[in-house]
Amino acid sequence: MKPVKYILLTVSVAGLLFSTACHDLLDEPAENRAFTDETDYTISDNMVLPLIGTYADFYQRGWEDIPLLAVRGDDVNHGGEGDQQDYANTDKFNYNRNFWMFNSVWQNMYKDIFTAHSAMEQVELYIANGASQAKGDQYIAEAKVLRGWLLLQISRMWGDVFITESSDPSQLYTMELSPKTEVMQHISNQMDEAIPNLPDMRPNQRTDIPGGVTQYTALAIKAMAQLEMKNYQGVADATGAIISSGLFSLEPDFYNLFKIPGKLNDENLLELQYSDYGQGSGDLSRHEYDFYGPQNWTPAVEGAGGGWGFFEPSLKWIKFMLDRGERLRLETSVLFTNRGIAKIQEDAAYANLPAWISNTTPSGDIINDFPRGMFSSGKQYLPSNQLTEGRNAYGTNKNYILTRYAEILLMHAEALTRGANSSVMTADEAVNEVRERAGLNTLTGVTTQQVLDEKFAELAMELGIRYYDMIRTENYNELSYDGRQFSADKTYLPYPQAQVDLLPALRTDAE
Amino acid sequence: MRKTLLFICFLLVSAFVFGQDEISVSGKVTGSDGLGIPGASIVIEGTTTGTITDMDGNFNLSVPPDAILTFSFVGLQVQTVPVEGRSVINVQMTESTVDLDEVVVVGYGEMKVKDLTSSITTIKSDDLAKTPTGQAMQAMQGKVAGMQVVSSGAPGDSPTIRVRGIGSYPGEGNESPLYVVDGMFFDNIDFLNSSDITSISVLKDASAAAIYGVRAANGVVLIETKSGGYNQDAEITYDGYYGYQIAQDVLQMANAEQFTTMAMESGSAADAQFIQNAMQRYGRSRINPNVPAVNTDWYDEILRPGAMQNHSLAVTGGGEKSSYSLGANYFAQEGVLDMKNDYERFNLRSKIDYKATERLTVGANVLFSNSTKYMQDGAAWFDAYYAVPTMPVYDEQNENAWPEKYASAQTLGYRGGKNPFTSLAFSNDRDKQRQIMASFYAEIDIIPDMLSFKTTYNQDFSSSEKREVRLPYYLTENAQRENSSVWKTAANWSNQIWDNVLTFQRDFGAHDLTVMAGTSYRDEAYQGLWAQGLDFPVDQEQAWYLNQSKTTPENSVNDDGLRQYGISYFGRVSYNFNNRYLLYGTMRADGSSKYQETWGYFPTIGAGWVVSEESFMDEVAFIDYLKIRGSWGELGNDKIQASDGARTTEVINTAINDNLVSGTIAASTYSELKWELTEETNIGISSRFLNGNLSLEADYYIRDTKNAAIRVNVPSVGERVLRNVGIIRNSGLEVALNYSNSISDDFSFNIGANISTLENEVRDLYGQPYIDGGSAEFRQRSIVGEPLLAFFGHEVVGVYQNEAQIADAPSAEGVTLEPGDFIYKDQNGDNIIDDKDRVVLGSYFPSLMYGANIGLNYKNFDFSLSLTGQTGNKILNRKRGEIIWTNDGNLDADLAKNRWHGEGTSNKYPSSAGLRKSWNQKMSDYFVEDGSFMRIQNIQLGYTLDTQRWLDGQLPEARIYVTAERPLTIFEYNGFNPEVSDGIDRQTYPIPAVYTVGLNLKF
Repeated sequence: MKPVKYILLTVSVAGLLFSTACHDLLDEPAENRAFTDETDYTISDNMVLPLIGTYADFYQRGWEDIPLLAVRGDDVNHGGEGDQQDYANTDKFNYNRNFWMFNSVWQNMYKDIFTAHSAMEQVELYIANGASQAKGDQYIAEAKVLRGWLLLQISRMWGDVFITESSDPSQLYTMELSPKTEVMQHISNQMDEAIPNLPDMRPNQRTDIPGGVTQYTALAIKAMAQLEMKNYQGVADATGAIISSGLFSLEPDFYNLFKIPGKLNDENLLELQYSDYGQGSGDLSRHEYDFYGPQNWTPAVEGAGGGWGFFEPSLKWIKFMLDRGERLRLETSVLFTNRGIAKIQEDAAYANLPAWISNTTPSGDIINDFPRGMFSSGKQYLPSNQLTEGRNAYGTNKNYILTRYAEILLMHAEALTRGANSSVMTADEAVNEVRERAGLNTLTGVTTQQVLDEKFAELAMELGIRYYDMIRTENYNELSYDGRQFSADKTYLPYPQAQVDLLPALRTDAE
Repeated sequence: MRKTLLFICFLLVSAFVFGQDEISVSGKVTGSDGLGIPGASIVIEGTTTGTITDMDGNFNLSVPPDAILTFSFVGLQVQTVPVEGRSVINVQMTESTVDLDEVVVVGYGEMKVKDLTSSITTIKSDDLAKTPTGQAMQAMQGKVAGMQVVSSGAPGDSPTIRVRGIGSYPGEGNESPLYVVDGMFFDNIDFLNSSDITSISVLKDASAAAIYGVRAANGVVLIETKSGGYNQDAEITYDGYYGYQIAQDVLQMANAEQFTTMAMESGSAADAQFIQNAMQRYGRSRINPNVPAVNTDWYDEILRPGAMQNHSLAVTGGGEKSSYSLGANYFAQEGVLDMKNDYERFNLRSKIDYKATERLTVGANVLFSNSTKYMQDGAAWFDAYYAVPTMPVYDEQNENAWPEKYASAQTLGYRGGKNPFTSLAFSNDRDKQRQIMASFYAEIDIIPDMLSFKTTYNQDFSSSEKREVRLPYYLTENAQRENSSVWKTAANWSNQIWDNVLTFQRDFGAHDLTVMAGTSYRDEAYQGLWAQGLDFPVDQEQAWYLNQSKTTPENSVNDDGLRQYGISYFGRVSYNFNNRYLLYGTMRADGSSKYQETWGYFPTIGAGWVVSEESFMDEVAFIDYLKIRGSWGELGNDKIQASDGARTTEVINTAINDNLVSGTIAASTYSELKWELTEETNIGISSRFLNGNLSLEADYYIRDTKNAAIRVNVPSVGERVLRNVGIIRNSGLEVALNYSNSISDDFSFNIGANISTLENEVRDLYGQPYIDGGSAEFRQRSIVGEPLLAFFGHEVVGVYQNEAQIADAPSAEGVTLEPGDFIYKDQNGDNIIDDKDRVVLGSYFPSLMYGANIGLNYKNFDFSLSLTGQTGNKILNRKRGEIIWTNDGNLDADLAKNRWHGEGTSNKYPSSAGLRKSWNQKMSDYFVEDGSFMRIQNIQLGYTLDTQRWLDGQLPEARIYVTAERPLTIFEYNGFNPEVSDGIDRQTYPIPAVYTVGLNLKF
């Protein structure tokens, strides 16, 4: 070949190169991404998706969320002896702001709040693109209610907290904390905004999202916010509206209310839904009930998994129930071990216990002694014979009830004993409805103390309702039990160190 | 040719021979292999008089009795020998460590070492071959100043490589250097066998690496695979070794007695009860009846010796128009973890070059690699740390257990099973990887010796078939797996690069100019499909398929893909005046589809001054060569994950009324990223002293990574988003010294050492004072002015010994202190120990790394030894930290022995009860330990058999050798090994010692 040919060859190769060097390729977007910008908001049927996403995020509660919310009450002890020292310390009102659970619960709850905001913003976009205004407003209202529940719990634990405004977490960098009363008023207002747009039915009557939020869920949360503000007329009005709807009733089978038959019960206003979809393997949405489960048991169905032995009903509460001669609610709320029974009997006043108290549950599971605790909590217990075959993890397929009608009745009653007016029901009627289900005699002329006692008996081991009642009523002596010393400065948890390091508002507050 | 030269030289030399006062000296010049070197030159120093050796390496020369002779030969170390009246002088010459005329690859071309203005270190195949390993990069440990190699003990896993510190936020897969294998880009070279490689060059500074533009910021490692040579007789070689890996420095855990003491002192009735339960179930020790009879050393139980072997066969040679190199090799390694945990690889390669016409050369290079890796279940390391020693491995009383009667700690009262054998026996993770690297080129000499054009097409295709199996088991209720599950992943990567390079080279008298211009087109594609199945027949491995599964969970089928394009234009000018003044510059424009910003420009310039070429240096005899060089350049790092640039929406499932429904969550945050930009300035010297026997290379660099992508905590949601928000500086000094000499015919040696310092500093965080990293409990914080991700917490001063001391102590924010609790330093002096007393506790980057080696040759023996080490780095002992979450597990023996248990017993560790108190669980330097170590990296002793003399030389050359890799490591850290890539030791695979015997044959 001659040099000319080489030059020609080179030029043609170079020419080929430049003709194929397609710069347009550099503008190709990334693969396998669903960009929110590209969501087709004109497909109105999809408007429900962000709402379902909010429910899904809400239901995926960390196992530590409710235990932290609830542990400080005199109804329950930390349990899990020897493990999670800081959890035990929290129960004893010694707080360590570096404790991982504080940060984790704070984040779990705020994260879901931002998810709720995000859903509201997404639904707005669907509405703007032609989706049904009424339906969209309802979805937004539902997200608002879930956000309200979360904010209520955060403020109960930490007091002054952030009232979020949008789905962008970076707003917190510059945001000031809001005092607890402001937070409660905000929640109450939010519920007022939501109520007109929500379905007028029981959650389990909904066909689109069975178990989803309705007007009455919003009213219940409003009542709780009002209760925190000690605005008892507000409590009476909100609970009265629920009662007068006539939609709700107490489940006669109290024991099974907290088990599989109690899923989406007529008594429930809000519950976390889980399922094994009726299959022995495969898809599963479950709550980590292991935390609550007895650490050593002989289940009626062999192979069923036990738990970690935390969340131990207190001796104080058990004795309180024995004093009242209660069986149904005590038996439902406590799993006894022989060691625990012996411990009760150490007190001469309780040397002779009713014969039904034993370490075998009504469902036939035998709770063996375990060193981490003396009792396990019955309301978070699922009998081994209610497990779907093939599922062995403790509590699989069980829902977690957050708010039920009994609490509404008792809030109503307390408000009335504190002077609020109601045309719906008297305090006596409300308390007696609860007592009758528990197999107790009726009362007349109930006092505030009697209502609080009834709440103690009925709602023990449920979401710290007792602790926040004692805080609200400044009944600090009740919290100082079994060697604990409570004082007003112990009311709120310290802000988690990781958040203090991140957020200026918490920093100034912490100093 | 050589004969003709010899003859001419001989004639010339003869003409200068004088008779008077001179003596006749004769002798033989041999190489390190003992064979005579023909054509070596011998010159009387200070004259031009001399001779060259004949075909057998013999010479004869008349010289003054006090003359000094200089022996030299291309590629070998120059030697100076005084005659001292001797009549016979035999000289053995050794290969020079780095020859200045040697050519190194620099990316799209080659340069002579003496023309470099940048910092490049090249390691040859002989050095790589000393390390028995499946990963060629592992063999680089301690050999390159400024390059950190953090070993990985798990079979088939690549070591962590850091060139000149860390400019990119770790843990994102952004930190690894770019590997260029014969022109093809890779993220790692795990698929290569050391025997496939001729040389590995580390382009350390910006000036050297900038030609690779947006890929170059983490350093560039160029790998050349073996090739043949024109007009070369065929050479057939076999290299092989076989040996064992033995876990070293196994962490001593508390035995049953120590564990019992700790439990009894813990103040937890539950823990004391668990000990009682152990005695009831398994009996009491006959020596001490208060201690359970069972005393299990869990690390001992889960470890085993692992075999390692390597065999490689190669044929190399070439004719007038072609050259070839073909090879095959097999490597196999068992893990030291006692489970299905091993690695096997079989490689085939072929490289052919052919001169098609006078001006056209074409070639093809194909390498096929096929490997199977059974991966460890790392949880076992962690589980073995916590497993209580009072429990046996097997428990026949545990009747319900299946398929094996493993013991469960739950039977003793603990929360879970705590038996690491569930990870070992019921996990089976396999990854089959196949990789084909192929490249084809054509090179045209448009104007011979002046202008050439080369076009190269590279394709790398690799596939991974992964099968991760979890088998069901039952120990007790809380230690069981209900369903068998299998995850299958099928993924493949197809990367193509097409390079076109035009090179012009011309000498204009004293001016020597090389200009290169080129383009590169890049196309990277990935696709992966994975799915999960549950409940399949477990006994037969042949049934571990999705089709055999009874259930396939919803959303367990996933599919992902990636396609990225890149177009680059680049050029290089290198200019040399009189071999004295050097100028160098490159420029690369990189276009990438990965980010919203498409184009980046990466320039570099360098200059060198060869001082020793100046006339005023002629007087300085001991300096043979001295070059001062400096460079500046900018590099990019596009390993930073592709930026979404917009909010994304994910799908989430939940149960509503026992139906599975899907919803969506639109993310609240999104990434808006671009490449990191690294700016580096390097100054250095290259020098040779003492007739080239001593070489010294030194470099100082400052390397600033701008737009560093750092994980930023999103407040209150527990998420961390990557943002370009920082400037990180690495700076350091690197010095490498090598000396070699021959004392006599029979004895020669070389000795080398390198040290490098590293200072890592966060320079700016775009307005923020710090960014938190690590976990909330074990905080790492990047603070302006401090190292990236420094450990951050309290400083422990000692342990409170008595109540009086506590009475005087600073306030503990309401915590009731007891003797046996830590004394923290009150850093701000406000007499309160709180979060404001937290300080930087150290960094996981070593501030000083060093390596040294010595090689000796005596007659047929060869011996080499290398050392490596580092100081200044810290390790977070997360194993001890786990007590924060679960405090009834076992502890290491050092902690048990040196715990506080009464006044004066310890000022280092808290009491057993104290270990469980949150006060003592604050992040502190109790958890952060010194990671310094010094290690004998490699010892090799070889013997070359005199096979050439046997059976009339019909036998091949043969060398046998024994190797001890990492036989001894000296360190203080309370863990398996001080090599922890991210500084957080939770379940680190131990780095075993390797002992092998090997054989080299050359036909």
